[in-house]
Amino acid sequence: MLEIKNLHVSLEEEDKQIIKGLDLTINAGEVNAIMGPNGSGKSTLSYVLAGRPGYEVTEGSITYKGQDLLEMEIDERAAAGVFLAFQYPIEIPGVATMQFLKVALNAQRKARGEGEMTTPDFMRLVRGKAEQLNVTTDMLKRPVNVGFSGGEKKRAEILQMAVLEPGLCVLDETDSGLDIDALRVVAEGVNALRSPDRGMLVITHYQRLLDYIVPDRVHVMSDGKIVKSGGKELALELEKDGYAAFAA
Amino acid sequence: MTVTLVKTPAETAYTDAFDPQGALADVRKSAFAQFAATGLPHRRMEDWKWTDLRQLMSSPLPPVSGTTASADTIDALISASPFGDVARARMVFVDGVYDADRSSLPATGDMEFASLGSDDLPDWVSDKLVAGSTDPIAALNLAYMSDGAGLRVKAGSGMDAPIELLFVTTAEQAATYTTRNVIVLEEGSSATLIETHIGGTGEYVHNAVTQLHIADNARLDRVKVQEEGLEAIHLSNTDVHLAESAHLKDFTLTIGGRATRQQGFINFAGEHAEGHVSGAFLLTGKQHNDTRLVIDHAVPNCLSRELFKCVMDEAARGVFQGKAIVRRDAQKTDGNQSSHALLLSDEAEFDAKPELEIYADDVVCGHGATSGDLDENQMFYLRARGITETEAKSMLIGAFAAEAFDDVESDAIREVLGGLAEGWLARRKAG
Ligand SMILES: Nc1ncnc2c1ncn2[C@@H]1O[C@H](COP(=O)(O)OP(=O)(O)OP(=O)(O)O)[C@@H](O)[C@H]1O
Ligand SMILES: [Mg+2]
Repeated sequence: MLEIKNLHVSLEEEDKQIIKGLDLTINAGEVNAIMGPNGSGKSTLSYVLAGRPGYEVTEGSITYKGQDLLEMEIDERAAAGVFLAFQYPIEIPGVATMQFLKVALNAQRKARGEGEMTTPDFMRLVRGKAEQLNVTTDMLKRPVNVGFSGGEKKRAEILQMAVLEPGLCVLDETDSGLDIDALRVVAEGVNALRSPDRGMLVITHYQRLLDYIVPDRVHVMSDGKIVKSGGKELALELEKDGYAAFAA
Repeated sequence: MTVTLVKTPAETAYTDAFDPQGALADVRKSAFAQFAATGLPHRRMEDWKWTDLRQLMSSPLPPVSGTTASADTIDALISASPFGDVARARMVFVDGVYDADRSSLPATGDMEFASLGSDDLPDWVSDKLVAGSTDPIAALNLAYMSDGAGLRVKAGSGMDAPIELLFVTTAEQAATYTTRNVIVLEEGSSATLIETHIGGTGEYVHNAVTQLHIADNARLDRVKVQEEGLEAIHLSNTDVHLAESAHLKDFTLTIGGRATRQQGFINFAGEHAEGHVSGAFLLTGKQHNDTRLVIDHAVPNCLSRELFKCVMDEAARGVFQGKAIVRRDAQKTDGNQSSHALLLSDEAEFDAKPELEIYADDVVCGHGATSGDLDENQMFYLRARGITETEAKSMLIGAFAAEAFDDVESDAIREVLGGLAEGWLARRKAG
């Protein structure tokens, strides 16, 4: 479903290479986890997948469902099914969460040539999913992420994911800032989205999340490359031994 | 070196036409003398340095009142008011003259209406028409004012259904139209007032003054929408007197006009009064909007808030001049002003000039101004959810402007304002 080959990424503003020859394949139905030290380029990878400006791909390719992802606009990628749950969700004052979700969902449907969802259908859809994720009606009325606690922001990201039903879910440190109960709620929300035609890329620092969202593959990223891949037991090893063995 | 300014053709036209008649002749004469002392404001006057009327009014625009337009033209402009379904009472003025047939006034003992063009003005209006404004444009207004609304809300009455004062300028003549409103809220009364300015295509000047006299414990919510024609010059002055525990919420949306100069003078005359003044400009092309506020805290324990959100596209130009005076006795004054500009093009320009003159020591006063373009992170976030670039821009611009009218009390009016902003954004998208 997603194939990254020999990816090299530099910053546009300064001459600095961050991703230095990364290869990664994610198959439909799989959960892949990426772990790795701070600054190794995990978030950068997630931004490049979503199409954030400021990064320059100098070499390599990313193919998503047979399409050249790097040729697509940010919103085209989203409509094609790429979803990034942000490490630091952005606040948007003046735009109510519910309104934002509705515009986003209908924009994606329109891009895919589907009809708009009616307001009552949309409300029902969101209310149902929000309840499962402990997202209150009050939060839905408030501006996007404004005044949300760290944990509330993360739950709101997963709610967006559940409503938009993407094909590829990229979760960047969705577990950070969550208390134990919220972690379980979020993990249940993510697990509910696991399906044979959906791929997931879960970036995390902690084995704990992977107890709830059990990965098919675990990759270690260091200095802009995948330096080791293995099964879920690799996460346990890292928890015990740290990243010393992979130091750049 | 003394510079003697030669009268411009526009100034000459104002002088030549001056021939005051009737009960107000003396008031008009002294007002005109005040105007004549300075003439049209120009860039060498500190407060007018961004808006040079001598230059902007390059041809004569003689004072005129009364329309030459057809009924269809007039009706089309009237139906362009976005408040048709919201207003419960309406006074309509066409080319500077009251149009009784197109107005609808409720039969109520709680309020009194007057047309300022009438020969026989009630005392509660004529008492308020006094020369003495230091502003040349306000003085010119009094000298030439042809009509306008008088509204008196009687003590203790609550008129919360919106009353609209609709000023329609057909732009059939290159002329100056001059209107003045006198709004009196007696003790403990309340009202919601809408002031709408709509104009046709063609060059004209609308010189509009609104006097708001808000007595003890009275409360006024006022919303002004300015959609003058795109070749028009809109000159406005709002003069506010707040008595003890009086409360004003004032919001202005400016979309129209080639050049707009709007001034607000808020005078705190009684303690524990509150004045909230906010506005949004949505400007494009070469539109120019210079807003100047002078907040005068003469007494203690009052609160003032100003919030202006200015959106400028293409080569538009915005100015916000906010002056707050806190006099020596005005202890415990709580004053804050802020202006925020969103520049959507490299050619757009915004200037903010805050001025604080504080003579009391126990006060909390602040000001802030920001200016920038759309936030890249917000754009990325919206687009990463599948929202197109154009739509994402519209959402962010709309949200930016809406913050200025978030606390307009009436849901129905707020919805209309949201619709106007959306309309502007849709026209922008359509290019
Ligand atoms: N826009 C930018 N400007 C400057 N440096 C950047 C920028 N984006 C990323 N970097 C740098 O690139 C490196 C990788 O950053 P990235 O955020 O991808 O790391 P990460 O693996 O997600 O780290 P963490 O675990 O702390 O979240 C860091 O050294 C970071 O400072
Ligand atoms: Mg990161």
